[in-house]
Amino acid sequence: MTPPVIENTVLEKIPLITLLGHPNSGKTTLFNLLSGKKYKTVNYPGSTVEYSISHILGKYSVNAKILDSPGIISLIPCSPDEKLSVDYIFSHPKFGVTDIAVVTIDASQLSRQLLLVKQLVNSKFRVIVALTKNDLLNKKGYDINTKKLSEILGCDVVKIDGRSGEGVDELLMVIKKDMNEFDEAIEKELPLDSTHEELILSFREIGDIEEQVLEKIDYHENGKNLLNISEANKQLKVLGSGLLSHRKPDSFTLKLDRFFLHKFWGVIVFLLIMSITFTAIFWLAAPLMDLIDLFFGTLSSGAFELLGDNWFGDLIANGIIAGIGSVLIFLPQILILFLILGLLEDSGYLARGAMLIDKPLSKIGLNGRSFVPMLSGFACSIPAIMATRTIQSKRERFLTIFIIPLMSCSARLPVYALLLAYLTPGDKPWIGGIGLALIYVFSIISSLIIAGIVSKFSKRIVKETDNSSFIIELPAYRTPDLREVVMRMFKSSGAYVRKAGPIIIYLSLILWFLTSFPNYNPEISGSDTMDEAQLEQTISYEKVTHSYASYIGKFIEPVMQPIGMDWRVGVSLVATFAAREVFVSSMALIFRITEDDEDNIQTSMLGAMSDARNEVTGKKLFTTSTIIGLIVFFVFAMQCLSTVAIAKKETGGWRIPILQVVIFTGIAYVLAFVTVNGLQLLGVQ
Amino acid sequence: MRTASQLKPGEKAIIEDIDNEHPSSRRIMEVGFTPGEEIELAFEPVFKDPIALTIRGTVIAIRKSEAECIIIGHIKD
Repeated sequence: MTPPVIENTVLEKIPLITLLGHPNSGKTTLFNLLSGKKYKTVNYPGSTVEYSISHILGKYSVNAKILDSPGIISLIPCSPDEKLSVDYIFSHPKFGVTDIAVVTIDASQLSRQLLLVKQLVNSKFRVIVALTKNDLLNKKGYDINTKKLSEILGCDVVKIDGRSGEGVDELLMVIKKDMNEFDEAIEKELPLDSTHEELILSFREIGDIEEQVLEKIDYHENGKNLLNISEANKQLKVLGSGLLSHRKPDSFTLKLDRFFLHKFWGVIVFLLIMSITFTAIFWLAAPLMDLIDLFFGTLSSGAFELLGDNWFGDLIANGIIAGIGSVLIFLPQILILFLILGLLEDSGYLARGAMLIDKPLSKIGLNGRSFVPMLSGFACSIPAIMATRTIQSKRERFLTIFIIPLMSCSARLPVYALLLAYLTPGDKPWIGGIGLALIYVFSIISSLIIAGIVSKFSKRIVKETDNSSFIIELPAYRTPDLREVVMRMFKSSGAYVRKAGPIIIYLSLILWFLTSFPNYNPEISGSDTMDEAQLEQTISYEKVTHSYASYIGKFIEPVMQPIGMDWRVGVSLVATFAAREVFVSSMALIFRITEDDEDNIQTSMLGAMSDARNEVTGKKLFTTSTIIGLIVFFVFAMQCLSTVAIAKKETGGWRIPILQVVIFTGIAYVLAFVTVNGLQLLGVQ
Repeated sequence: MRTASQLKPGEKAIIEDIDNEHPSSRRIMEVGFTPGEEIELAFEPVFKDPIALTIRGTVIAIRKSEAECIIIGHIKD
């Protein structure tokens, strides 16, 4: 027996530094400066609250761990997620009690943000204040006397500039000094829920502190005779003017917002920014996606040649490589999405966008904060569902997660492209473009209607009820820090690959198995009369038509008939549960299209589709009505199993994802049925 | 009794009290809306809700239903 390992947490514990601060106070920027690229992002057990943990960058030679958790404005939490973040400052499940709390404070917002510092000091934490955005305060003509602030607060105060990294060395020196002064663990005290009066008192104190430490920058005597704010106050009172200039919001921001939040122009700018975002996601990403497609196609056929035409080579080429390809194909869109969102967020616009859209969204039970996740849903549901974490109200968050799969994600695009191409006459290519635009408008409107219905009439789908709130700071406009934005872009995209990747790859392996077996080596009669391409085509056709997938397809055939489809489309629809875009490749497989038809795979596919006959009725399989029916099906159906997995994880249960699958696929089926039969009744074939 | 939700664009006021009963009242105070502070209705975009109020040197967007718990007095301009 091995002796029990005793973890010597007291002696060997590496000091834990926790970063705290308001949202927008530069907390994450500081974390990135201190941690470099080597950090881990982890969820608190059993929750969706995330934290990042890292060892302080080697070059600073400080032996401590640094932890970044979501921004908080007070130690008294307002939501379960906030409560978790606060509780773990006092006792982290993995790293214990916070040893040093570094609080980032926007220098121009002392009178609001010092509340958190006061609460931490009262709870007996060792606190270091990192003053950020000093340039904004200087622009207003003021500066902070850090020495004085440090004396009043009883903790160290350091000015830092997140962009240039200035002040970080000083901060680390203070951290080192504090680390040497550890004696014994001081018992931390959880803050009590402060009363109305206590909060007023705290703010009065903070206001006084601000007055004492703010100094007017005297440009004439450079550093000498700095005017204390209370003296300046007296002088100004004599002049009888209103607010002191440090209590006025950034004037450049106010000027810009007169335009961005204008009754008319504000809407125009909003729509313009949204359309640019969309255009960029689709058109900028397209060539990159083609490149990835080409790369994995080449890799796949290369692997086939190398490993030979056997089941193993097939597994590697068509199972694994194709599976990885189907994860990475969406990476360009997701990178561009996160780049644009990062730029909008860093510049300060995103908060305005959320504000503009809050009213209409609140009408259907959502929140202005639902806006960014919904927008992301047009690229991919997976990062979109992860982005709902910023919505405080659980009810609004779950409702947002609920409708995100209805946003027309980019995996539907190749499907729509194929189906629309079938409907579009060769001499009128613009019909396809209009069709696509109509599909998007249709999907937006229907998702909003469904959200409205769910929030109004059903307490059973989203059970949670809590206070709906929208209080958001409109931060001063700033030029985005590109380095920071790019770093965050890679971080978020990495999360997508890690979270969605494995699921999609497993599913494509299962799909490969279902479409390849049990008839892996079909016997072909008369194979000697065929050329190689014909033979290959016949083999893959025989393989699929006698595969497990075809059994499933034939099993669900009775369900397919009412919407004008037969088992072959059924198989492709089953395949779409791995990923929607698989529809195109599995259709190609079943309708015997090979890439050897050099001219154009889509042309030969469209030809095969128009020749196809319904195997039961003998009528033409793909007609205007059945194609429109299929499109309607794809608009609603919840086909993406990766989304199901993420929705389960983020809502902490199976209820929401199962309801999504049942309700959305049900709606899809019923509406496809109504569409196909309705159109046929109207005489559209 | 006037509340911040009744302010007109560009109108300033001093906060007199925060309505304790409102479920958002504590968060509203924690972001800086406390008695004695001056606020101004800075912007009122298309739907006139949420509204943007200046407070303590910044601008905060807040729903009208939540601004109702900010009780204000008049200010001479």
